Amino acid sequence: MSLQSSTPEALRVVNLLQERNLLPPGTVPAPTPCLPQDIQKVNCNPEVFRCTLTSIPQTQSLLNKAKLPMGLLLHPFKDLSQLPVVTSSTIVRCRSCRTYINPFVSFLDQRRWKCNLCYRINDVPEEFMYNPVSRSYGEPHKRPEVQNATIEFIAPSEYMLRPPQPAVYLFVLDVSHNAVETGYLNVFCQSLLDNISALPGDSRTKIGFITFDSTIHFYNLQEGLSQPQMLIVSDIEDVFLPTPDSLLVNLNECKELVEDLLKSLPHLFEKTMETQSALGSALQAAFKLLSPTGGRMSVFQTHLPNLGVGALQSREDPNQRASAKDIQHLSPATDFYKKLALDCSGQQVAVDLFLLSARYCDLASLGCISRYSAGSVYYYPSYHHQHNPAQVERFQKDLKRYLIRKIGFEAVMRIRCTKGLSIHTFHGNLFVRSTDLLSLPNVNPDAGFAVQMSIEENLDDMQVVSFQAALLYTSSKGERRIRVHTLCLPVVNSMSDIFSGADVQAITGLLACMAVDRSMAASLSDARDAMTNAAIDSLSSYRQSVLTIQQPGLLAPACLRLFPLYILALLKQKAFRTGTSTRLDDRVFAMYQLKYQPLAYTMLMIHPALYRVDDLTDEGALNINERTIPQPRVLQLSVEKLSREGAFLMDAGTVMYLWIGRNCNPNFLTHVLGVPNYAAVPENLYLLPELDTVESQRTKAFIGWLRDQRPFFPSLHVIRDESQLKASFMQNMIEDRTESALSYYEFLLHLQQQISK
Amino acid sequence: MILLTIIARIADGLPLAASVQEDEQSGRDLQQYQSQAKQLCRKLNAQSPARCILEAGDMYFHCLIAEDVCYLSLCEASFPKKMAFAYLEDLHTEFHYLYGKKVSTVTRPYSFIEFDTYIQKKKKTYVDNRTRRNLGSINTELQDVQKIMVANIEEVLQRGEALSALDTKASNLSTLSKKYRSDAKYLNTRSMYAKVAAVAVCFITLIIYVRFWWL
Repeated sequence: MSLQSSTPEALRVVNLLQERNLLPPGTVPAPTPCLPQDIQKVNCNPEVFRCTLTSIPQTQSLLNKAKLPMGLLLHPFKDLSQLPVVTSSTIVRCRSCRTYINPFVSFLDQRRWKCNLCYRINDVPEEFMYNPVSRSYGEPHKRPEVQNATIEFIAPSEYMLRPPQPAVYLFVLDVSHNAVETGYLNVFCQSLLDNISALPGDSRTKIGFITFDSTIHFYNLQEGLSQPQMLIVSDIEDVFLPTPDSLLVNLNECKELVEDLLKSLPHLFEKTMETQSALGSALQAAFKLLSPTGGRMSVFQTHLPNLGVGALQSREDPNQRASAKDIQHLSPATDFYKKLALDCSGQQVAVDLFLLSARYCDLASLGCISRYSAGSVYYYPSYHHQHNPAQVERFQKDLKRYLIRKIGFEAVMRIRCTKGLSIHTFHGNLFVRSTDLLSLPNVNPDAGFAVQMSIEENLDDMQVVSFQAALLYTSSKGERRIRVHTLCLPVVNSMSDIFSGADVQAITGLLACMAVDRSMAASLSDARDAMTNAAIDSLSSYRQSVLTIQQPGLLAPACLRLFPLYILALLKQKAFRTGTSTRLDDRVFAMYQLKYQPLAYTMLMIHPALYRVDDLTDEGALNINERTIPQPRVLQLSVEKLSREGAFLMDAGTVMYLWIGRNCNPNFLTHVLGVPNYAAVPENLYLLPELDTVESQRTKAFIGWLRDQRPFFPSLHVIRDESQLKASFMQNMIEDRTESALSYYEFLLHLQQQISK
Repeated sequence: MILLTIIARIADGLPLAASVQEDEQSGRDLQQYQSQAKQLCRKLNAQSPARCILEAGDMYFHCLIAEDVCYLSLCEASFPKKMAFAYLEDLHTEFHYLYGKKVSTVTRPYSFIEFDTYIQKKKKTYVDNRTRRNLGSINTELQDVQKIMVANIEEVLQRGEALSALDTKASNLSTLSKKYRSDAKYLNTRSMYAKVAAVAVCFITLIIYVRFWWL
């Protein structure tokens, strides 16, 4: 099936060596699969479910020839503005493969339907014939399950192994001297006090606290006590729970005691001189407390655990940070944390880790506790309440989002695909319980997953294939629900069609996940070579198989024109770069983020967006909620695009930099920053002042709009030429040459040389 | 101890509330009983007796049916019947007061799962009364164990004596048999000498006979 006529733009030949302006003015849009209009209309939203190739090759040999990775990237629990919810006594599923009925099944007649994943013919149950929405009978294809690709079912009792668990939150806090120094405890307690009524849950919600330094402290919060009681367990080799209940208490009934505890906690440890940290034992104690019910454990750690089980050594050699050769110590030092994470996963406990540390903390080992228990890792390097207020603000906002965001408990996810395709590798914070059952003790709206696929049998006689991701979870109110997403894509058998359907951002995201796995399993240089080879192989395959006229230069189809740029960006990313001084924890955290974040934020992390903001106009602006939001053009990441007379905003996902040129427009300085001249711009400015000028409104509207699009809070840094953060800003200038890496043009030449070998 | 409590609607077996004993050890074994309980809820109907006890292995299901709702609890065999039914009556009064009117209208399973907090509290009061008695019985059991242990030690000591007697006997046997061996050897050599002497005498007689006969 040739789709070439319908997508001429995607296959337009681009000579990368000659064309310089490759970036679109706004964000790069996701490619639309080449399907008939009525099918594409109901297809799954690409922000939720996306494939690296929007036209699936018919055979494995064809896929191998194209040298592009095939996989799916999903964001199954994303906060959706519109989500149809169906309560039905029977959920219609295929008899053999157990696929949920979806918009892409075919109805043979009124009474029978054909599954689009295994092609089995099933009967339509009697209840399904009645459509409650339109109150009509005899039109099963009008029911909401068949009209929406993303839908949520309320699960009947067969989908529950045990009664739905309540929301259980346990906070494990480091209270050693180092921790109290950073001052995080104040921020945490205040945040929790402010948001305690907004914690997702119902009247069964339970809460508990454990603090630790060289001993473990539990808090008896039983209803009826006049104040919280602290119980200290110093036997860290063999931890036990001091009392059987009242360590995890019902939030509604014991709210005053909990609030008392939060108010007094920072003062309890003000004078502490303990420098040791028994994190492993504290985690074991917390696991004992949570294992009967399951729930969420939030661990706050400020330095290397050095006592008891799970004690870690400082493995980083500061002299090796800028090594041009291999980076060591990317894999865990001990499997204590992984084992504990797997035990937690079995008891439906997820562990989230907040690392607030100035020195090396061996995140490569500690991170395992979250990776295998479907938790998330938050990292605030050099957190200090006085020296680093930008981090404090970021911690506060992140904590607020973390406490009040939607959460699902005791969840499992299964991804099914049409007969002939199979899934073999899973990326993300999860545990693969059996061949395709993913165990997620907690599911949150900020987690993304990726899978790699292969073609087991040739997809002959098939026009389309489908993929379905089903997430079964317990909501915080004790309801068991199933969220189902279904994606449909066409099958093609010509190389040009495969290339025209390539989704360059999804390919980059999947390659980043694969490269992280390769760095941890083999070595970093292996991973770097593999990424470069991915670019070389795919472009040379394009040249040989698709191009009819051989022209000189480095040719790529328009849909893949950004591919070498993204590969270069990955090579210069903190996770994979060599030759530039990178702290080991920063590097490991960048790797975790590449695997954990949904695609949209990963792409911002890999290739930040650069805008000129000193000359914002209302031309082409968006009008949202009666606010005009200017839309400046995205610029290339090169110093060439910076100008001394301007101010530029770089949006890198979790952080934003506002760079002020030396001869910046004084209008901008006075009206937006509130300073008379360049020299008066303060050193560590991270908040734009509230001024009443038009320019200030425009700038704030634009920055606010960027921030609203994502659930976490990017911190803003205003930097001048002499600022310490200038180095981080300049490191994101991907197209430029540095001492240890090629410029974009040189990289293209290198690719061309390798291709024509 | 009350391990499991389920409250379900009689009409279609829809579970309305439940509570599982939160304990590291017992939680895992209850899987099988939970599925049995679910099936029970479906099988019971308005014609079933208002109160009954169902045996399941070494546990008992106590069942109370009232106002279209059935209250099931799983207890150990030793838990007194009266107490179990008093507990279920208590649950019934409170549940009916809070949710009685809404029972027939809900469709979602575990719609009243928030009743769990009340069930947990009730469970604790019913267990506490037994605890004192349990402690007493545990004490007597400990004494029994002590006695048995003492008895066993005595047996062991006696066995020890028997063993030492056996030991001495065995060593006696060993020395005696050694002596027997040396005696036997001595006798063997003596008989050998005797044989040799006999043969020598015969031989000499023969030679003398031959000498005197032939010469």
